[in-house]
Amino acid sequence: MMSFEGQDSGRELRRIVRINEEIKTVVKTAYRINLMAMNAIFLAKRAGQSALGFGVLSNELRRFATDLEQQMIALGQATAGSVAIVTAMVKEARAVKVLERARTESSGLGRDVIDEALRRRHGTTFSERLEQVAALNRNLDMMIETTASLVEMGGVLARSAKIEAAYGGGFSQSLKQVSSDFEGTIGEIRKSLDSLKRFQLREFAA
Amino acid sequence: MKTIRVIHEDGAHKWYAIVRDPNRPDYLIDTNEYLVVSGDDAILLDPGGSEVFPAVFSALSTQFDPRKISKVFASHQDPDIISSLSMWMEFNKDIKCHVSWLWSSFVPHFGGTRETFIDIPDNGTDILVGNHRLQAIPAHYLHSSGNFHLYDPKAKILFSGDVGAALLPPGEDAMFVENFDRHIRHAEAFHRRWMGSERAKRDWCTRVSQLDIEMLCPQHGAIYRGDDVKRFIDWFAHLEVGILRS
Repeated sequence: MMSFEGQDSGRELRRIVRINEEIKTVVKTAYRINLMAMNAIFLAKRAGQSALGFGVLSNELRRFATDLEQQMIALGQATAGSVAIVTAMVKEARAVKVLERARTESSGLGRDVIDEALRRRHGTTFSERLEQVAALNRNLDMMIETTASLVEMGGVLARSAKIEAAYGGGFSQSLKQVSSDFEGTIGEIRKSLDSLKRFQLREFAA
Repeated sequence: MKTIRVIHEDGAHKWYAIVRDPNRPDYLIDTNEYLVVSGDDAILLDPGGSEVFPAVFSALSTQFDPRKISKVFASHQDPDIISSLSMWMEFNKDIKCHVSWLWSSFVPHFGGTRETFIDIPDNGTDILVGNHRLQAIPAHYLHSSGNFHLYDPKAKILFSGDVGAALLPPGEDAMFVENFDRHIRHAEAFHRRWMGSERAKRDWCTRVSQLDIEMLCPQHGAIYRGDDVKRFIDWFAHLEVGILRS
């Protein structure tokens, strides 16, 4: 029972920290896409009639970047809220560890009193925390899935922009460059999300 | 497990000293804890850090039901004094912690709620344990800026926190001071560095000289008794403190 609590709470905290770090990476990249999309809109305007399709896609990509940023802010808030729960778990695990050490050293009345305290802890607080963490994990999984679908949509937009760039006349080369940058950046986001999903899967399997 | 010994007994009024943990890791300072029992009520003085809780608890519970400890007294705010507070609350969530008002919003970082803490005003207060009245005696700046000792006028015992403390080497760690001159060498550097104010030291010496003390019980090291109590107060009065020597 002890090792379960001790390892689980420590692992949960490390997991939250890791998720937060991945989220920060994605938020930074999403901000980059937003700027790139704005530049692409200006470029398409300069290219005029020959880049109408590209212009529409650039607007969509900018909307995509804003949606992604919002999604990541919500994900960040969800993980930040979970830090309080996980910190409480770590604290509880530490207390249980000290109680178990006291139990080993005690006998008679002392041991009975410790057993009573441990039963109380296991019966109430810790199981409640586990339920909270499980709910939190389900929520995080759902949010990661939603984000992944959004990023898939972003990938499709970037590929379409690349095709539209070919019809950009004199601006074709510049538009191709911009759409390749979109594709590369969305690829980076996909990589971060995949790593986050794999991490979640591995942690749940453990 | 630490050793627990009765150092004073008068019917249902007892003082226990909980000392020396042979399994204590050497990176932790050794501490003494004291339990004052009056009938079914008890107060634990400087309950110690959470790392030493198992050793203190196991020794204490051989003599007294830990669920009956209704109060703890924290001489000051240090972690080796009171960081185990939340562990003691496992057995009595209504436990009260008597501590200088200066620290009553700092110590809750170790556990407890608003209701747990009872502020001791700067000039001290009485604390009732069972039907015994103990006196919180000001010892500010020795070493903490909000610091109290606890005097039991019936038992004639003064719990003196860090005053009187000695860092004893292995082999010289008896519960009581046996040879004052030999013992005090282990207290000198500690007092010079940890005690920050000459004036506070002089005030304290004057104050406690007026008390009838048979035992002076520090939080580290050995207990002074009989003539060694006066010997210690005189020694401390003449010691230059608050200096850093290279």
